[in-house]
Amino acid sequence: MKDFIKACFLVAYRDLRRFWKFKHWLAAQLAMNLADVVIFALVLNNMVNRDYIPDYVKFMSTGVLAIATFASAFSIGREVGGEMRREVHHYLLSLPAPRAALAAGRFIGGALRGLVYQLAFIVLNLLVVGVPGPVQALAIAYTSLLFSLSMSALAIAVVSSTRDFNLQSTFRALIYYTLFFFSNVFYPKELISLRFPGPLAAVVTHAPISRAAEVYRWGFGYYQSLDPMALPEVTLWAIILLAVAALLYTRNLSRQ
Amino acid sequence: MLAVSAAVKIVDFVKKFGDTVAVDGLNLEIYEGEIFGLLGPNGSGKSTTLLTIATVYKPTSGDIYVFGRSVTREGDEVRKYVGIAFQEPKAMWVDTLYELLLWHARVVGYSSAEAKSAVRDAMERLNLWEHRGKQFYQLSGGTRKKLEIAKVLIQRPRLAIFDEPTAQVDVITKHALWDVIRELRQEGSTVIVATNDMFEAERICERLAIMYRGRLGALGTVRELKDRIPGGDVVEIGYEGSREEVERAVSRLPSVGRYVLEDNRLIAYLNRGEEKAAEIVSLLTSAGVKVKRIMVQEPTLDDVFFYFTGARLREENQDVALNRGATPWAR
Ligand SMILES: Nc1ncnc2c1ncn2[C@@H]1O[C@H](COP(=O)(O)OP(=O)(O)O)[C@@H](O)[C@H]1O
Ligand SMILES: [Mg+2]
Repeated sequence: MKDFIKACFLVAYRDLRRFWKFKHWLAAQLAMNLADVVIFALVLNNMVNRDYIPDYVKFMSTGVLAIATFASAFSIGREVGGEMRREVHHYLLSLPAPRAALAAGRFIGGALRGLVYQLAFIVLNLLVVGVPGPVQALAIAYTSLLFSLSMSALAIAVVSSTRDFNLQSTFRALIYYTLFFFSNVFYPKELISLRFPGPLAAVVTHAPISRAAEVYRWGFGYYQSLDPMALPEVTLWAIILLAVAALLYTRNLSRQ
Repeated sequence: MLAVSAAVKIVDFVKKFGDTVAVDGLNLEIYEGEIFGLLGPNGSGKSTTLLTIATVYKPTSGDIYVFGRSVTREGDEVRKYVGIAFQEPKAMWVDTLYELLLWHARVVGYSSAEAKSAVRDAMERLNLWEHRGKQFYQLSGGTRKKLEIAKVLIQRPRLAIFDEPTAQVDVITKHALWDVIRELRQEGSTVIVATNDMFEAERICERLAIMYRGRLGALGTVRELKDRIPGGDVVEIGYEGSREEVERAVSRLPSVGRYVLEDNRLIAYLNRGEEKAAEIVSLLTSAGVKVKRIMVQEPTLDDVFFYFTGARLREENQDVALNRGATPWAR
């Protein structure tokens, strides 16, 4: 057990440490996330219907917190994919570490990227939206942890399913944009159901990013109440995604 | 658990990649504490075998036991014993040399403080220290190979595997590696070296296996393998005397297969040349032929390699040599 935890820690540390090396990626990501807040919020603030969105700046900055966490945790997929293509995973497989520790360490490494990167946006929300109470803070932390773990695991499972660079990028982009657009980050579900009647609004509501954004909106005090299903669904998503990803990644790693 | 005198026991090992049969029914035992050489042309299945020993690949059928532990069923245990320097260096392209090795040291069990000094020692020994801040993608091919060697040097595993470690590296590094290998053996490690460098194989390996098309072509010490080439040794004797006497003397020695007589020289193709040379000389002397010069040439490991992997090529070459010697006018 001690060996397992140590291996997990080292594998996670390896991925977290490398995160800072992609300075251009980080800068671009940060610029994009901030631009989302600035452009959407400031420009649209007076154009959108106040009945639906009382304050678009607050709405967006909580939403972007979810997007930022998602994008940074998901970024681990790019490197795991690159490793698979260059057979760096052969090195990992040869190390004196249990296979499950490799997978768990990777998931945690990606999740830590999400958590570290999100700190900037937590600060933004503290400044722009409000300061959470202790219960809210706990909910924010819990959601952030599970949400970034799920997204990291999802990214890893998706890219490891092929060695083909084009397929990897396609899968990654497909999942990324699907999750990105089928969320309530940019528009609340009331607006979405107005525009797209039918099941789409419901799907969007239960999507993992939407659920995380909702907890954040309540946590920082933008919403007064929280859907009682929000936290259980965050938990459920994490359990499902982690289980499936652990299975896929360990299988894909040692396919040969 | 199997008997532990075998460091590695390969049993009916088959490995297929799709339709490609990389290894086709290999049986081989590598003894504890020996330096074992794995030879074979490109694509003969050396790397595949080594990677399966290191639990990177899974056997398609058969099994491999490392210190009695099965790679298919006890991978976690096997990995505790094995360290491998890959043929193709493998690392994340943005990590620096120092980071890579420091992390490696931690994973193979060093504490944080011990890791630093172990890494520095290994890097200095292989002349890597000056490159420590370079990212992997900036390193030359040779430096990348040194990184692989450094990993094993730091790890000091019970079973150390080097997959073509000296391809691309300079002479100084080659000697440093050979020192490392001998040192590991001194400490009780078993070492497997895949190589295409015959000089290296002859110099450091105690036993050799020659693989050919996924199968075992030959197995034994360098001496044994050389002796197994029929007519592999060349004994050349310069004499003064009658040609007929020489022919009669040589025909009394059944172990001399092919021979050539020309310009008062006897050139015989046989095995265990050193011993046979003495016999030939005493026969000739007692027949009244005066022996003036003796030269014994044993086959090189190149010859061994050719013989066990492409014997036809070697025989053709020999025939050319024979024809030229016997009937120079025929050309
Ligand atoms: N990962 C792989 N996927 C498909 N074929 C492979 C793979 N690894 C090796 N092979 C094939 O298996 C055969 C043996 O290769 P290898 O073990 O690398 O030989 P060697 O190390 O002796 O040069 C070759 O035909 C090679 O193309
Ligand atoms: Mg090879």
